[in-house]
Amino acid sequence: MKKSLLAASIAATFAFTSLSTQASTTETWQDTLQQAKGQTVYFNAWGGADNINDYIQWAADRVKEEYDVTLKQVKLTDTSDAVNRVLAEKAAGKNTNGSIDLIWLNGENFRAMKDNNLLFGPFSQSLPNYITYVDENARQSLTQDFGTPVDSMESPWGMAQVIFMYDTATLSNPPKSIADLLTYAKAHPGRITYPEPPQFLGSTFLKQALYELTPYRKALSQPADSVDFDKITAPLWAYLDQLHKVAWRNGQTFPSSSEEMMRLLDDQEIDVALSFDISAASVQIDKGNLPDTVRSYVFTNGTIGNTHFLAIPYNSGATAGAQVVANFMLSPEAQIKKQTPTIWGDLSVLSYAKLPAAEQAKFDALPRGIATLSIEELGQTLPEPHSSWVGALESEWRKRYAQ
Amino acid sequence: MPLKHAKWITGIISLLLVFPIAIGLIGTLLPAFAYFPPLGEYDLSFSPWRDLFTQGEFYASLKLTLVTGIAAPLLALWFALSLLAWGYQRPFFRKVEVLLSPILAIPHAAIAIGLLFLLSPSGWLVRLFSPWLTGFDRPPNWISVQDPYGVSLILALVIKEMPYLLFVMLATMKSIKARESLQVGQALGYSRFTLWRKVLIPQLYPIIRLPIFIVIAFSLTVVDLALVIGPNTPSTLAVTLLRWFNDPDLSMRLMASAGAVTLMLVIVVVLAGWELSHLLFSRLTRAERSNGKRFGLTDSVLKLGVFLGMFALLNAFVALALLPIWSLTRRWRFPDALPSQWTWDNIDRATPLLMELTSNTLTIALVATIMACTISLVMLETKRHNTTGANSSKPHVFDWLIYVPILLPQIGFLFGLHVLLIYSNLNGDLCAIIALHLMYVLPYVYLTLKGPYLAYEEEYLLQANRLNHRPWRNYVLVKIAMLKPAILTAFAIGFSVSIAQYLPTLIAGEGRYSTLTTEAVAQAASGDRKQVGSMAMLQAFFPIMVFWLAQFIPPRWTRWRLVLKNLFSRRNT
Repeated sequence: MKKSLLAASIAATFAFTSLSTQASTTETWQDTLQQAKGQTVYFNAWGGADNINDYIQWAADRVKEEYDVTLKQVKLTDTSDAVNRVLAEKAAGKNTNGSIDLIWLNGENFRAMKDNNLLFGPFSQSLPNYITYVDENARQSLTQDFGTPVDSMESPWGMAQVIFMYDTATLSNPPKSIADLLTYAKAHPGRITYPEPPQFLGSTFLKQALYELTPYRKALSQPADSVDFDKITAPLWAYLDQLHKVAWRNGQTFPSSSEEMMRLLDDQEIDVALSFDISAASVQIDKGNLPDTVRSYVFTNGTIGNTHFLAIPYNSGATAGAQVVANFMLSPEAQIKKQTPTIWGDLSVLSYAKLPAAEQAKFDALPRGIATLSIEELGQTLPEPHSSWVGALESEWRKRYAQ
Repeated sequence: MPLKHAKWITGIISLLLVFPIAIGLIGTLLPAFAYFPPLGEYDLSFSPWRDLFTQGEFYASLKLTLVTGIAAPLLALWFALSLLAWGYQRPFFRKVEVLLSPILAIPHAAIAIGLLFLLSPSGWLVRLFSPWLTGFDRPPNWISVQDPYGVSLILALVIKEMPYLLFVMLATMKSIKARESLQVGQALGYSRFTLWRKVLIPQLYPIIRLPIFIVIAFSLTVVDLALVIGPNTPSTLAVTLLRWFNDPDLSMRLMASAGAVTLMLVIVVVLAGWELSHLLFSRLTRAERSNGKRFGLTDSVLKLGVFLGMFALLNAFVALALLPIWSLTRRWRFPDALPSQWTWDNIDRATPLLMELTSNTLTIALVATIMACTISLVMLETKRHNTTGANSSKPHVFDWLIYVPILLPQIGFLFGLHVLLIYSNLNGDLCAIIALHLMYVLPYVYLTLKGPYLAYEEEYLLQANRLNHRPWRNYVLVKIAMLKPAILTAFAIGFSVSIAQYLPTLIAGEGRYSTLTTEAVAQAASGDRKQVGSMAMLQAFFPIMVFWLAQFIPPRWTRWRLVLKNLFSRRNT
């Protein structure tokens, strides 16, 4: 009797807890909304593209009217500046009311913050829009940010994939693999280049090349220091040695960003430009920065893609406001707006199947810019190698080519 | 200035200046020896140094820094001396002098951005001659900017530094009695260049030693200019260090700190080497200077300098003229010499952003410069008291202290200082930005104001006080009024120094306060020339305006004042 009573009470406790957790998620969210009212969220985000800044401004106006949260973008030139700032604040013992409330990041910056306990959370899996619309099984990069488990410490914002751009007026048959690229560069010296690592697109180019060149693809998902780095990357350096000889400015200088590459493409200094933004070409044509004969394409065997996220520093003074913003960014409204090619064209992280029919229709009705590829044309997405590869590739690259 | 405790006030000001520098230096020195609590590093060791010395990029960066950092001031000095010798007291040189102030005023980043437009293979120079003369339908594969040898960086540095040196030299002409020497020398049959070489330059050099040192330190440590137009594989040491400080791998900061300490040592070594070379040079040329020859072969060095200096100035003007054109461009594709489609869109689109940036920039610059002018006046007043006393020309300690911030690499102590700002909860605060700007504005204002202020004939003020003993009123209405041109010039220089600050704004403001400069440098990398064009143009506009006002107002002030006074007195009667 005693035993069964005990058992019953335990069972009851369980039942209550599970009930109360469910109740408390909605309740907590109400609390969060309440707390967020009147808060100012300093959103540290890369500020190098007009259209993205405009989008953030739009989101700021929306969260202001809907939730009374003031969103202020702090425009970064490099996301690691924000990581550094949080670190400096930790150094100074400023564990509350830090200067940053929300960061746009992924990959190595996320890992650096996570490993050094600089993040607030876990929070993303309890955001209402995450629960309703995100399907974690849809893409590996939603739960594994460059091989680092997300563990609900950052909330997905958008998906990116490497695309290439060329001018159909001067080039009819663009090189569609890393090997073709070298052949093309040899035939047209000075017309091929890539951004300078550690700029993220430059590092991505290295990863793309490595993926296509190395016979040991599986090793890329392991931490770089746990495998034979030299053996795996040897084909990459042999390739770059050849490429640099016939590259733009003889491989002695490299463009600093995707935006600079597009300018060089417009000036016809180079023949192929890269971007991590699938509608970059359409947006730039619209602004008069590229001729309307420019088109995008991807490599035949796929290109690297990833997910980018929003994270909250551990010492943020506006964690409630930051969560409200992260949740708003996951709303169909915000994601549809973001995927509009003339606005940003960033791929949505929401699961199409989980959306109500009305929202699905809105996604279907999105126009595509003249130079933007469809989801089918984007083809296969290659996974990011483990985030430790970024640093390892970058430092090896600088050791070889930056001295 | 009828201040009772001027001495105390200057003492406190000096302390306030020393304190942040000292903290910043400690904040850099400790991590250089592996003491960095936030990363759990508590044991002092030499490991950051070992890491630094095994980095190949460190040596490559150091070499590039030494080449550009020594060549640029050397060339700037040569060109400035040549231009001065060639043009001093000639009527048309007045016009060149007037043209100097815009260049002096323009932030480095704006110049660098303009030069990129001008000199790159798809730049305006190539466009102008293509394809009709060069046959280029597409830009050639040249490395004419961001070249690995740093030539374009040196050119940008020279363009920025030469006008400053020329400006400083022109200000000292009276004190070395240049006009008299020239008259006497020419009467004795010496040629103009020979006179300068033998008589005037040796007198001039010791007076402008400090500005030269500032220019050298600047060339060795500049970040924004090198980011925009310098090579990047490798970059100069200052830029490499900035990248290391910002690396997501936080342990890189230790090595970066060791690198920053190295950069400081480099400055000391280069300055010492410069002084030694000067001593050696003047000893070697002593005999030649007094051999009585009326002409000399080496005069042609000065002649060549005139030609090259003029060429550099021309480059600067064309580069600047290109900025407004880009801001009105819709399509301007290679090889068109001018845009094929024009538009107001860039400006329209940028307007809200530009308004915000402009108000931030102006607030910071105006407050910092007004404070710097006030502090300089107080400090100079104490100095005047001292110099009239028995221990005359003995330099006060703050004469040296205030130059410390501009002689040290910004990258060396700003990161250390950032931690102090966070401790005091001043990070990301407008006051912190203004304070850091003040640190950089003050030395320039003080330096510009020092000569004229100390040369002021104090009798005017004493006489006024004897007639009507209202010390403060007389100080303002007599002394300050008479020193108006000098004060306005100092203000204009301080203002332009503040507008140009990149790293201090970024670090103290934590990106919450963007200025025209931080935005222009950030966008220069993005390659959107149209937006960068409007940004850089506006960045250049305000300092030029202030310089122009500084020259335009003083001669007309009295007339305006009298007109106003007449208006009011007529109304009163």
